[in-house]
Amino acid sequence: MTVEFDPMTLAIFMPLLGAIAAFLLPRVAAFIGLVTLVLTAAVVVLLAREVLSEGAIILPLGGWGAPLGIDLRADGLSVAMLALTCIVGFLVSLAALDSLKGDAQARQRQYFWPLWLLLLTGMNGVYLSTDIFNLYVMIEIIALAAVGLTVLSGSKAALRAGLEYMYASILGALLFLMGVGFIYLQLGRLDFAGLINADSSLALSAALALMIIGMFLKTALFPLHFWLPAAHANATAPASALLSGLVVKAALYIFLRLTTYMPLPDEILVTLIGILGAGAVVWGGIQALRAERLKMLVAWSTVVQIGLIFVAFARAGQVGLAESWKAAALLILAHGVAKAAMFLSAGRIKDEIGHDLIRDLDRSSVRPTLAQFTFALAAISLIGLPPSLGFIGKWSLMEGAMAAGYWHWIAVTMAGTLMSIAYFSRVFAGFLRFDRVRTPVTEHQGWAYADAAPLTLAAGAIALGFFAAPILSFIEIGYPFGVAP
Amino acid sequence: MTDPLVIFDLLLAASVVALAVAVLGVRDLFAAIVLFVIFGLLSALSWVRLSAPDVALAEAAIGTGVTGALLLKTLHHLRFVSGTLDQQAALSVTPLLPVPGAVIWANAAFCGLITLGLAAAFLGAPQAGPGFDPLVADAMPQSGVEHPVTGVLLNFRAYDTLMEVVVLLAAVIAVWQIERGMSDAPAPVMGEVWQGFARLALPAIVVVGTYLLWVGAEAPGGAFQGGAVLAAVGLLLLLTRAYVPRPAHRGIARGAFVLGTGAFAAVALLVAGGGRVAFEYPPEHAKSLILLIEGLVTISIAITLAALFHGREPVALSTQGGRNDT
Repeated sequence: MTVEFDPMTLAIFMPLLGAIAAFLLPRVAAFIGLVTLVLTAAVVVLLAREVLSEGAIILPLGGWGAPLGIDLRADGLSVAMLALTCIVGFLVSLAALDSLKGDAQARQRQYFWPLWLLLLTGMNGVYLSTDIFNLYVMIEIIALAAVGLTVLSGSKAALRAGLEYMYASILGALLFLMGVGFIYLQLGRLDFAGLINADSSLALSAALALMIIGMFLKTALFPLHFWLPAAHANATAPASALLSGLVVKAALYIFLRLTTYMPLPDEILVTLIGILGAGAVVWGGIQALRAERLKMLVAWSTVVQIGLIFVAFARAGQVGLAESWKAAALLILAHGVAKAAMFLSAGRIKDEIGHDLIRDLDRSSVRPTLAQFTFALAAISLIGLPPSLGFIGKWSLMEGAMAAGYWHWIAVTMAGTLMSIAYFSRVFAGFLRFDRVRTPVTEHQGWAYADAAPLTLAAGAIALGFFAAPILSFIEIGYPFGVAP
Repeated sequence: MTDPLVIFDLLLAASVVALAVAVLGVRDLFAAIVLFVIFGLLSALSWVRLSAPDVALAEAAIGTGVTGALLLKTLHHLRFVSGTLDQQAALSVTPLLPVPGAVIWANAAFCGLITLGLAAAFLGAPQAGPGFDPLVADAMPQSGVEHPVTGVLLNFRAYDTLMEVVVLLAAVIAVWQIERGMSDAPAPVMGEVWQGFARLALPAIVVVGTYLLWVGAEAPGGAFQGGAVLAAVGLLLLLTRAYVPRPAHRGIARGAFVLGTGAFAAVALLVAGGGRVAFEYPPEHAKSLILLIEGLVTISIAITLAALFHGREPVALSTQGGRNDT
């Protein structure tokens, strides 16, 4: 009897088995973690090749098939999300090797790897899932592992932020679960295919609304963003990078899938979501302008970017949903890469200078040049300057809005862009001013191995802009179930 | 013709709601926990009345038993930190900062919207909607077990169940890594009378827990319920100091936490091949594989829940010296 492995199962089980091994053998946890990430990335490459040649592929777990059993399904969008998670995750892991190397961090080092690999299990599970109850279980795994990573540093502020994050996360998951329950009550099935052809009714829309609000809470859409800045700013740098770059994307992805299969009943609701996104862009921008600490500024910029993704989702109204999800997906990918780079470099700057007060950045005699350069590169993509992937995402947002004649969404996007230039300039000014330093500047202290991973990520965020066309055509593969959304 | 039990059901429903209100309203934390435990027991009774004995067992064992123990343990630490044994001062919640009115109104609006959504979804729902029942009934002969709930949990939708076990694993890892999550309060210990009680209760709990696991194949019961009951053994051992966690036991504990997940995942992966996919047990071995998985998962759940009650990783170098209750 031969045992055969399927790349989709392996994409979920590899990190799970890695997490178990890393938990059992804490001394070699880092080695196990890196090997697991390399293997998972290899599995994702295999899966991508399969999807490229055959289109969307489905695996009925247990051989039962939906709706009784659970199917795994890989299409262009899910493989793109898997690839983002694995590649960003691998580079963040490399950075974690360095930032968790001190003796004081022995404990953090021991627990970072099992928690991060469990997080990866949950996220990969979300991207391959086709079943709303299974999605609930996966977001539970993500929530617990993410809270564990948030409080990894053990500081009081981190513990408090982690507790708030856990409350928000559990409330979001419970709202989602209640929606799942009502949908099962009405339709008698839990798989995506069962949702597509359902006749819309008030009760079904209410259930969908519960699930969507749960996801808003987990992805931190304004005004449900209250937990995010503290949680992301107080975590250790690699954990912040994972939380901000990857974790909030899982809930966003679920939102995109849900609204594709169960279109929102009214265009007013789509506009309402866009207005919430616009609120996030403005409010997050104001808070980022007022932030005193570098990591807090970066965390508020995540709130802005999440809002922008929802604007991208809403910009074309209901008719244009078929197109607008692509701009949202591009922005998700761009933000994932750039924000991971930015949090890692902010962590590097904090490590080198010893603090992350924006006001005093220019007083430091230590200038971690490479980390600052990385930060600036990541900011280019987040602001949306060409040729970065962030630019392509914003451009396709505005292009669609122009074609549909929705000038107000363009105004929101432009305002958000201007504000992001303003708040990132606060940081750049600190990087570039030297006149307030009393001691001689030791300029090139930042050239360290630790800068390699964030720099690669930041450069990737810019360079991926050149590959926007192949990325766009890849995420369209097999979308969704062969039915035009 | 009305069922005489309707009156009982109405009373039950009213008391569940009243208890929920009371839990939220009472300021004394100890009273809140006691009310919560009663609330859990009555909820379990409601599940029985809704003909969902599996859920009732889970609610009684996990939702009420283990959760109640966890809450009381937390209260023990809160009381130690607050430094007073005066119940009102130590246990009552006092908000540190007054909450702004705008926040309260925003929260109220948010909760109101959620309630509206729930009401709309509930009122529009069909009385007896379609479900998996016919599909499950068709597939039961190939599942290897007789009880439909076990069939769904460990065969048709075993993937969900595996991931639920992973949730528990993630929880215990997260708890172990929080170093300063707990006060230095000495572990609660049972008095001598209770020691005798523990000696009587332990064998009974072991029998009940194992029976729940075994009977899961053909009747309500199973790994989660059995594991939660067996976790009570761990709680009693910890409370009577019959077992004191030591740093040297960490390796064994880690092994016990991952045992269920590891075995479940390994079985799920290794049955693939020869035209079968992951989680597709060969029909002739389905029953033994399911029992194997359930047995190991039960052990993991029991030890994990007991470890969650203990609340921290057994620490090696204790600066306090000589304290062995960590």
